[in-house]
Amino acid sequence: MIGSLEQPSDAARAIVEFCRLARENGLPAGVPETLVSLEAAAALGVDKEQDLKFGLRSVLCSSKDDWDLFEECFQTFWRRSEPESSANRRTRSKKEGSSAFGKRDSISLMSTGSTDDVSSEEDGGLAVAGASTRERLSKADVSTLPQSDMAMLEQLALRLFKQMSRRLQRRRRIGTSRGQVDLRRTIRRSISRGGEPMSLRFRERKLRPHRLVTLLDISGSMSAYSLFLVKFLYALQKHFRHVNTFLFSTNLVEITSLLGAQRLQEAMQALSRQPAGWSGGTDIGGSLQEFNQLHGKKLRSSDTFFMILSDGWDTGDAGVLSAELRAVKRRVRRVIWLNPLLGLKDYQPITCGMSAALPHIDVFAPAHNLESLLALERHL
Amino acid sequence: MGMSPTPPSVAANQSVDAIVSGFERLGYVADRSLATALYLVTTLRKPILVEGHAGLGKTEVAKVLASYLGTRLIRLQCYEGLDVNSAVYEWNYQKQLLAIKIEEGSDKSVEEKEKHIFSREFLLERPLLQSILVEDAAPVLLIDEIDRADEAFEAFLLELLSDYQITIPEMGTIHAKHVPYVVLTSNRSRELGDALKRRCLYQWIDYPNLEKEMKIVRARLPNIEQELARQVVGYVQSVRGLNLTKPPGVAATLDCAEALMALGKVRLDEAAIEETLGCISKSVDDDTKIRSAARDKIVVAGSMGRVL
Repeated sequence: MIGSLEQPSDAARAIVEFCRLARENGLPAGVPETLVSLEAAAALGVDKEQDLKFGLRSVLCSSKDDWDLFEECFQTFWRRSEPESSANRRTRSKKEGSSAFGKRDSISLMSTGSTDDVSSEEDGGLAVAGASTRERLSKADVSTLPQSDMAMLEQLALRLFKQMSRRLQRRRRIGTSRGQVDLRRTIRRSISRGGEPMSLRFRERKLRPHRLVTLLDISGSMSAYSLFLVKFLYALQKHFRHVNTFLFSTNLVEITSLLGAQRLQEAMQALSRQPAGWSGGTDIGGSLQEFNQLHGKKLRSSDTFFMILSDGWDTGDAGVLSAELRAVKRRVRRVIWLNPLLGLKDYQPITCGMSAALPHIDVFAPAHNLESLLALERHL
Repeated sequence: MGMSPTPPSVAANQSVDAIVSGFERLGYVADRSLATALYLVTTLRKPILVEGHAGLGKTEVAKVLASYLGTRLIRLQCYEGLDVNSAVYEWNYQKQLLAIKIEEGSDKSVEEKEKHIFSREFLLERPLLQSILVEDAAPVLLIDEIDRADEAFEAFLLELLSDYQITIPEMGTIHAKHVPYVVLTSNRSRELGDALKRRCLYQWIDYPNLEKEMKIVRARLPNIEQELARQVVGYVQSVRGLNLTKPPGVAATLDCAEALMALGKVRLDEAAIEETLGCISKSVDDDTKIRSAARDKIVVAGSMGRVL
């Protein structure tokens, strides 16, 4: 041991301090890890720098990303260049990004956030809004709705989305059927009857919840809808066990963990800090390609629903879009494309990107108002 | 660690260097980082999680570790829907039914009968239980592709890896005689739980560089011509830069080199690439990409350009 706990040697102190730096920089280096680090250092000896580095790395890291981060920490600490912890904190959290959220619709965002708690109770301010208002709101196109109605719509939406995803869950739970005979329990019960298996015990098939992978277009042409749709995804994600949610414009950003926040307001704040290219250009094909390369392996044909929310206005290569979507389709159970423009009376899906994508889509549905989003339940 | 049932018993001559050279003797080229991590596995007795792309020898780590330590390898292959029955233990129901029938006439009490049919004799040991029950020396327990099993199983594993004991309701709790060396592998098809990750040492295996891959080819295929080996490795290294759906791992390099030797080739030309394409590419799209790259002399030229 390089030093007892009461009187730590210089080496031990250095390692504890290094663990603290690592923790401040976002590595999973808690007290147990620090103790293991000390043990590791004792086993490896502190004189060989490279061995010590590799050893500590295997203790303090738990993913490839951590590895890269560790490298920085180690350099910083042992080179004594700048042991200032905040200097190289995870770049992701540092970048403020162009927060389109901050500027746009900040009023409605605030109002939703503050009333979120209330709306989760059965009747918030909504009981006041009569049935006719509700009707009107749920049919209205999100992009043309006046700011004053927006807040009310969002309350209504959140509640209905929650109900919807709860219903989706329950449907799965009831749908179980009698499965195989469970020999173990059957025999156990038969002992008291002299070994005759009088009553059979059954093993129910364990139902795996479906997976949902969603890609939301946040390019300029979608800006009237994207903020509303994010809230839809937030509600949906809360009640699915396996959801992966991505934003894309010209590149792809995963926001699954951000939407996992307890309250909508927190989730939205986290999102506004995320540099994601709000209201930028669109490259659907390229984004799908990126998705396939990074996350394609996670798709499983038996139980994954793949959902794209986009208007299909694409500046990328339509050939790439078609090829990538076909690759996705081979791996999933159903490809769902929700297009807000489909709500327009005379809309024809003839844009280059949309017509390239159409052959590979199982469900093509509108997403311009609340009603159309709730109708999605039928397809999941 | 303090809680483990048996104190770690490490041969005095073990060190990081010993592992590097020992693994090399067994035909596995381990870099310093992996060897250090494995050394910590043997001294601290913590499980290790090995992640990396397919075909880079993750599973091999456990196999070689077992033969290096001169101990048994117990392997559990994970898959979707893996449950406790096939991972830990199961009762031999047919035998139990028979035993009940045979004892029908005897005057044993119900309790005695129950005790009999739930004894070790009727227990089918699955890998995890086996690893706990090993009598003579600590085995290497390989839990392969843990990312394929579901979260419920992961949670169960967590319990096993913290206490190294298994409870069978009918028999009681069984403690490990020797804490096994645990190697978990993952292809990162899903993110593992934080709790499990924090319990393990971590090792990321990346694609090897040219020099290391040459060493691997030479260690695995001692009979290969130097020139051919250099060409194959250069070729595969440049194919990895082609942005394929499934980039070839080291296993593919070895397959390709072996295939070329079997075909009696002494150098890698366009025809040879075509004939061994199946070793390198695992999808039609990748086939096309490699073919066109080969036609444009990108991949072969790449292998010519780099001289060791």
